[in-house]
Amino acid sequence: MLTLLAKLLKALNSETGAWALAFAFVLGMVLGLTPLWRVHNLIILLAALLFRINLSAFIVSFLVFSGIAYLLDPWFHQIGMSVLQSPSWQGVWETLYASPWGRITQFHHSITMGSIIVSLLFAPILAVLSYLIVINYRGHIQAWLLKLKVVQGLRASRFWQIYAGIRG
Amino acid sequence: MKRSIIRWPGLLAFVVFVGLLVAFSWLFLDSILRWGMEKTLGRLNGAEVNIERVEHSWVPLSIGVYGIQVTNPQQPENNRVVVGEVRADIDTGQLLLGRYIFEQMNASGIRVDQPRDSAGEVYAPVTKDSLLDAAGSGLEALDIELPSVDDIMQQVNIQTETVIANAKQTFAEQQQKLEQAKAALPSDETLKSYEQRIKELTEGKIEGLGDLAQRREQLEKLKADFRADRDAVKQFKDTVSQARETLSAELAAVKSAPGDDIDRIQQFFKLDSQGLGNVTSLVFGEKARQWSQYILLAYEQVAPMLARSSNDQTIEPARGQGQWLSFTEDDAPPEFLIKKAVTEFAFGDTVLDVDWRNITHQHQQLGQPTTFQARADNNGLWQSFNLNGELSLGENGIDARQQWQLKGLKLSDTPLSESSAFSATLLATTLDTDGSMAVRSNQLEGNGAIRLANLDIQASGEQRWAQLVGQALGQLQRLDIRANMSGDITSPSLSLNSDLDRQLTEALTGTAMSAAQDKLDAVKARLNEQVQSALSEQQPQLAELTQLLELADSKDSRLNDLLNAKAEDSVGDKLKEGLFKKLGGNN
Repeated sequence: MLTLLAKLLKALNSETGAWALAFAFVLGMVLGLTPLWRVHNLIILLAALLFRINLSAFIVSFLVFSGIAYLLDPWFHQIGMSVLQSPSWQGVWETLYASPWGRITQFHHSITMGSIIVSLLFAPILAVLSYLIVINYRGHIQAWLLKLKVVQGLRASRFWQIYAGIRG
Repeated sequence: MKRSIIRWPGLLAFVVFVGLLVAFSWLFLDSILRWGMEKTLGRLNGAEVNIERVEHSWVPLSIGVYGIQVTNPQQPENNRVVVGEVRADIDTGQLLLGRYIFEQMNASGIRVDQPRDSAGEVYAPVTKDSLLDAAGSGLEALDIELPSVDDIMQQVNIQTETVIANAKQTFAEQQQKLEQAKAALPSDETLKSYEQRIKELTEGKIEGLGDLAQRREQLEKLKADFRADRDAVKQFKDTVSQARETLSAELAAVKSAPGDDIDRIQQFFKLDSQGLGNVTSLVFGEKARQWSQYILLAYEQVAPMLARSSNDQTIEPARGQGQWLSFTEDDAPPEFLIKKAVTEFAFGDTVLDVDWRNITHQHQQLGQPTTFQARADNNGLWQSFNLNGELSLGENGIDARQQWQLKGLKLSDTPLSESSAFSATLLATTLDTDGSMAVRSNQLEGNGAIRLANLDIQASGEQRWAQLVGQALGQLQRLDIRANMSGDITSPSLSLNSDLDRQLTEALTGTAMSAAQDKLDAVKARLNEQVQSALSEQQPQLAELTQLLELADSKDSRLNDLLNAKAEDSVGDKLKEGLFKKLGGNN
């Protein structure tokens, strides 16, 4: 875990593109918030591996949002139920339900539907937010952080040794 | 140089990952299916379902499930049903469309109400009354206290002594009245003096009219005394008659008092059959409940599971589980359908096949009910058995009907009750049963008859009542039990009634009476002794009354003679004779 965080820190401090990090956070968020064993997560995984995004950020984001998903499950369930039971959408759901591809997506599961909707709505916000944080971190926060005594103490720890080892 | 946005090694990694995933699923498919079935069936059942193993084959696509244990949510220590093996062929084309269509399913080694190694987890607790209301209370609740003679003597309030005391008091009162009346009677001396005076007045020589008038006047005075005395005699006779009548009644009451008391004591020995409770249910209830689970299997086991599968609301989804919704159209084929199924129920070495058609929870979409039929004749256990029925799930719940006939079922060494207070074993009997039931909107109503012939029951217990019930059961040759089923389909209630309660009441009463006979005889002897003592005092008094009455009659007669006949005639004759002489006539 420490290695993973160190790699993430290295990416933040490296020349890795800010959008590459931001998309990694977004994809990890979708994977973390939605139930794991769903077909759409294969697409997320394919995107994370195929496109040149930071895998450390992707994994950290997945782990963090998996924990958050546990807290939000009841909310996802409510949203999913209200959408799936919405009269105006019944025709769409019936069509999807009647098709093998629609059934494979398992859209008719309340938490799956609710979490996909929330993660898709939150995706652009998280992308922009992550991008701004990375840019600001590199411009201002990194220098300010290095001056903190806590960080200076951290630099004497094992974590920093791992980080330094990765940085080479 | 700017690097490409595509990371081709990443694609390779994805392919490897998916390949590993497929290989993992392929290798562990049976375990994954087992896990999924346990979860799904557990959710439908409302309690833990365990599956020993699952096997599959791809061509043709089929699945075999072995060692299924379905926990009873009402009794987690027991499995509501155990299935040895289930094999089913799946329609591959329909499976791709998300429909589970089974052309043929065979289930064998089915047993109901079997104990589990450890209590199963209950996901959806059901507040269900005991299937058998009375059986739930247990035999310990059967509080039969056989009365003892001493207890009964205290309760009965023996009347003999009171009757004797009342008779003695009445005798004393009557005696007092008699004494008063007797004192007013003319004595023999008085009567003799009356006779002497009459004689003097009537037989002496009359000295003219003055003498005659004087005699007449004295005679009138005497007649007045006679009348007074006669009234006194009459009063005395009335008193004696009344006393004799009263005392005769009292003596009759005294004589009958011991018998009345014994009758009332015996009446107390007669037990109230209602106080016994429903012994039929207590003795046969638990076993009948188990039997009924076979009869009600389609309703108790399958129907609730189908109902749950059609309505996820029946089980509150666990956190993080979510809910699966169905969007089938009304005319769409069912999502789950077993077209044909054979379930083999095991009764020891005997197997009963039940043929099912169209097992589904979407009968409206299928347009047909689920039907089941079982017929088996002349096997080792019974002569003939026939069961058929159908059920369907509609908007209002379950609608169903079924009927059954079973003849010549031979039962032996069947434990009926293993309570600490009372144990009973059906050593041997021949059982016939028939009946029918119907379910309308989840409400069950039905009745049946259970006839037990050539009964041989061995029952015992430490307490006295248990021994007596055991004796009574041991005397039973045959027993007709009427069974009524009613209530909600998920919690049906079964009530049993028979003439066992009456038979048992009579047997217990007889036994109690027999046990108390010595004491009763002693009580009777003591009461009779008291009565004889009282009678020996009072019967002479009654005889004396008769003598007194004879005496009064005698005095009454003498007074009447004095008053009415001799005095008037003799005085009149004397006067006539005197007048004729004075006138000189001869006649």
